[in-house]
Formats: sequence, structure tokens, C-alpha cells
Amino acid sequence: MMELRKTLAGRIALTAVATIILLFLALPIVVILVTSFSNNAFAAFPPEAWTLNWYKALFADGSKWPAALSLSALVAALSTVFSLIIGVTAATALTRSELPLRSAVFALVLGPLLIPQIVTALGLFLLFEPAAMLGSPIAIALGHTVLAAPIAVLILIATLRGIDERLEDAAASMGAGRLTIARKITFPLAAPGMIAAAIFSFITSFDEFYIAQFLSSVDTVTLPVRVYNSLTFEIDPSVTAVSALLTAFAILALGLVALVRWIGSGRQQSLLSVENTVGVANPGGDAV
Amino acid sequence: MAATLTAGAPARPRKLLASRRTRVGILYALPVVVYLLVLFVYPIFSTLLLSLQNADGSFTLHWYADALTGVNLSVLFTTLRISAETALLSLVFGFVLAQAICRLKPLLAGLAMLVVVVPHFVSALVRTYGWIIMLGDKGLVNESLAWAPGAPFRLLYNELGVVIGTTSMMLPYTVLLLYGVMRGVDRRLLAAASSMGAKRVTIFRRIYLPLVAPGLASAGLLSFILSLGYYITPALMGGPNQTMIATLINQQVTKENQWNGAAAQGVILLVLTLAGLLLVKAVTSLGASRKKRSAS
Repeated sequence: MMELRKTLAGRIALTAVATIILLFLALPIVVILVTSFSNNAFAAFPPEAWTLNWYKALFADGSKWPAALSLSALVAALSTVFSLIIGVTAATALTRSELPLRSAVFALVLGPLLIPQIVTALGLFLLFEPAAMLGSPIAIALGHTVLAAPIAVLILIATLRGIDERLEDAAASMGAGRLTIARKITFPLAAPGMIAAAIFSFITSFDEFYIAQFLSSVDTVTLPVRVYNSLTFEIDPSVTAVSALLTAFAILALGLVALVRWIGSGRQQSLLSVENTVGVANPGGDAV
Repeated sequence: MAATLTAGAPARPRKLLASRRTRVGILYALPVVVYLLVLFVYPIFSTLLLSLQNADGSFTLHWYADALTGVNLSVLFTTLRISAETALLSLVFGFVLAQAICRLKPLLAGLAMLVVVVPHFVSALVRTYGWIIMLGDKGLVNESLAWAPGAPFRLLYNELGVVIGTTSMMLPYTVLLLYGVMRGVDRRLLAAASSMGAKRVTIFRRIYLPLVAPGLASAGLLSFILSLGYYITPALMGGPNQTMIATLINQQVTKENQWNGAAAQGVILLVLTLAGLLLVKAVTSLGASRKKRSAS
């Protein structure tokens, strides 16, 4: 801010410190990516020689990684479906209806995001252990939905609020039924938000550690729990390759969300401009 | 919005329509409410119940007494201390970085924001592993400090390592929060003070700082609260003296099969978190009223 900018030297100092802080955030990720190709996966950085061995070892016979990966993918897929169902209905209720106890419902939705995940995990453990459901992909997915659904709800509330309600009003004024409006106007406009909500639900579940740790059994272990165990109890250099793949996956997913958002904003604009054209061609018509 | 639905059937009475919209609302809110009551609220209540019971189901406060004495108490203090150190450090780093980003041109600011946001979505386990590789005796940090007397420095499996790692996990939250607060400061207030002859230091101290102070307080509290229940990084980068309350809960359940004790620890963590959230709320409403006052 202006009031801090006393001298050129001060400005340079601030920039330098800010750069160091940015490195502080980015370097651990860069280091993982580089190390996954290093022949010495544990001790030295920067690497002395390069190799693809850790990636090959991931899918070698007897490797536990493919099982963990497929369990995590299954759990995340289930959790994404649950979160979308809950997210779409809840966001509709919170933005497009008259809901009694609205703020209480909203507080309930925020709850899982605010209280420590370890507490949620412990509670879910107490719920599923007596039911002999530990290690069940369904149980882990149900648990992950507790965290993923609120995120989906928040994204979809923002999406529905961002849709210009005049478009829905315009369709209604032309005699479209509620179902037609939902199918032809609201759904296509909300689709990018739904895709974003799905991606974030998937990442949330795929990355989740505390709940998965409590709800896993000895034989069924999700990928993050496997990574954690590998870092704590044993030495498996393939963990660098897994980490690098997880990083690439996260960056890819974020890129996809950005792309979908960008396409979505263009779509609403073009619809709105059609509306404007209609308005211009029809100057006597009702203002929407 | 009510007008939308009337448009198709203008003759229908308004009250009936409102109740239809209420019914739709209740119907659509049901999935999330039922889901979270069964899988979130009920499990937390059973945790609370369990923490107050003996093995035979009779009422006791034994588990709380146990949680607040001896080793368990020192774990609680360690948790509070590490969380406070982390919160302070992420607040300072966050303040400097958000200030710097505020002053960048839009393109560079966007790039810097990307560097803040992208790591946030990369698994905490992966980032922690990156830190372990970087802070080792032959890691990047020690290699580049090899000239310094006393090198290699011990940066892992102690509190320094834990605080470095955990701060990098909390920093994205504080940067994003503080950036939002700083962008929200009405520049006309600063200009007004300046036009009346106030010096820069005075403007910073009397106008800018009071306006961003509630944001600073809530960013600090937020990273404190988030650190309280966190253990991925402390467990991997710390030694036995850095055991935090969440690690203890995990150990009690998975290793010792001691659910009641774990439940009591969980409730203590929950109470600390809720107290922190109430403070955040108080601070935020204070900020809102202060902003209103200085604008009028």
C-alpha cells in the first residue's frame, strides 16, 4: 500500500521478501516433481542422476499402489455422486425457494468445514465401527461426503446466484413451465458450476486423510493413507512418483475448473445478449 | 422471483403460491439436512456421550480429568503452542505477501495468486513430503547454507520443522483472507487523511491499521483454529515432543482401543475450536461496525 512505500529500497525489500514467501509455498511441490525422477529418492537434492524407476515400480507385481489408487478412485467417484445430489437440491432450496430456518440449514452446511476433521472422523468411526463397516468403500465415501457436500453446496449456491434470474423470468413470461425453465435455462447455465462442484468433490474425497485413516481397514487403504503409512513406517521410494502424480492431478483438475468456468461465463453472456436482441427487436414488450 | 412463477398463472392466490415455494424449499433441503444430521451431528453427539461414560455406561468425568493431567495435558499445551506459533508466522508472512500482491500490476498479481492457490489444492501429504526432502541434512536448504558455520542445521523432527511445514499449509488461507480485506479498504479514507496533512506513518497507524485489524485478527484466529486439529505435518516432521492432540486421538483409537479417552480429547478440541470461531465472529462484527463508523 501507498503508505508503506517510503523509498525505492523499501519497495525492493518488500518484493524480495514476497518472492521468498512465494518460494516457500511453491518449492515443496517443485522439489517433489524433480525428486520423482531422481535416482536417489531420499537423500540428496538436487539429484545427481535421472531415472523413471519409481514410476515403473508403481505398477510392478506386488505393488500395493494400484489397489490403493483404485479404492481412492472408487470412493471419490461415489462421494462425488452423493455430493452432487445433495449439493444441487440444497443449493436450489437455499437460493430458489422460501425456506424456513434458512440460516440454521446454512449453519449446518458450514459445520463440517469449520470443526476439526479429526473430530468428524472420530464421530464417523464411532458410527461405522459397530456396524462392521470399516474398510467398506461405501462407508468411506459416505464419510467423505460429509466434507465434500458442503463444498459442493457452496459452489452451487454461488453458481445459482450468478445466473441472471431475468433469463428465468423471461422464459416464464413467454409461457415456459417450471420444468422447461429448469431444463432449458437453469440447467445449461448451471452446468459449468456443477462440473466445478463435481471436480472439487472428487479432489476433496481423493485427498482426504483423517476420515479415510479411521474408516480404512488393514486390507483396504486409500491412497493418502497409503502415502502416509509409506512415509511413516516403511521405505518405498515409489512414494515420490505417487506424490508427483497426485500433484499433476491436482493442477490438472484446477486447470479444468478454470476452463469450464471460462466457457460457462461466455455462455451466459451470449444468452444475455440474445435477450438484449429480443428486447431491441421488440421495443413494446415487457422489460425483463 | 415470486413474479416468475405467477407469470404462468396470474389468477392463483399469492398465499397458496408462497406455501408452495416453502414446500419446495423444505423438500429440497431435506437431503442435506437428513444427511448431515445422521452422519455429522449424531456422530458428534455420540462422541460427547462416550466421553462422559465409563465402560459400563455409567456417568463419569474421569476421561476429562485424564485428558487434563500428565502427558495428555502437555500434549494439549504443545498443541496450543505450535498452533500459536504457526498462526503468528502465517499472519506475518500473509500480511507481507498480501501487501506485496496488492501493489502488483494485475497480470503479476494474478500469477502470484496462482502460486498461492495451486499449492493449497495439492495434497498436504505431498507438500509435507516435499518439505522433508528439502529440510534434510543433505536437502536443498542445508546444501545452500553449507557455507554457514554450524551447517548442516537440524531442521527436521523438531519444533522448527513442524512450524515451518505447518505454516506453509496455513499460509494460503491467511493470504487470501488478508488480500480480500486489504482490497476492501476504502482508499478515499486514506486520501482524505492525506489531504488534511497526515503523514504516511500516521495514516498507516490511525486509519489503515484499524481498518485491517479485524481482518488480521480473524486471519490469525482462523489459522490457529485450523492448526489445532491438524496433524499430518506435525506427525511427519516432528519428533516425540511435537505430538499434537489430533495425533493423540488417532493413537488412542487405532493403537490403544481407548475410545472414551479419544472422545474426551475430541470434545476438548471441539470446544477450543468453537470458542475460536465465536471470537472470529465477534471480531468480524467489530470490523463491520468500525468500517461503517469511519465511512460515515
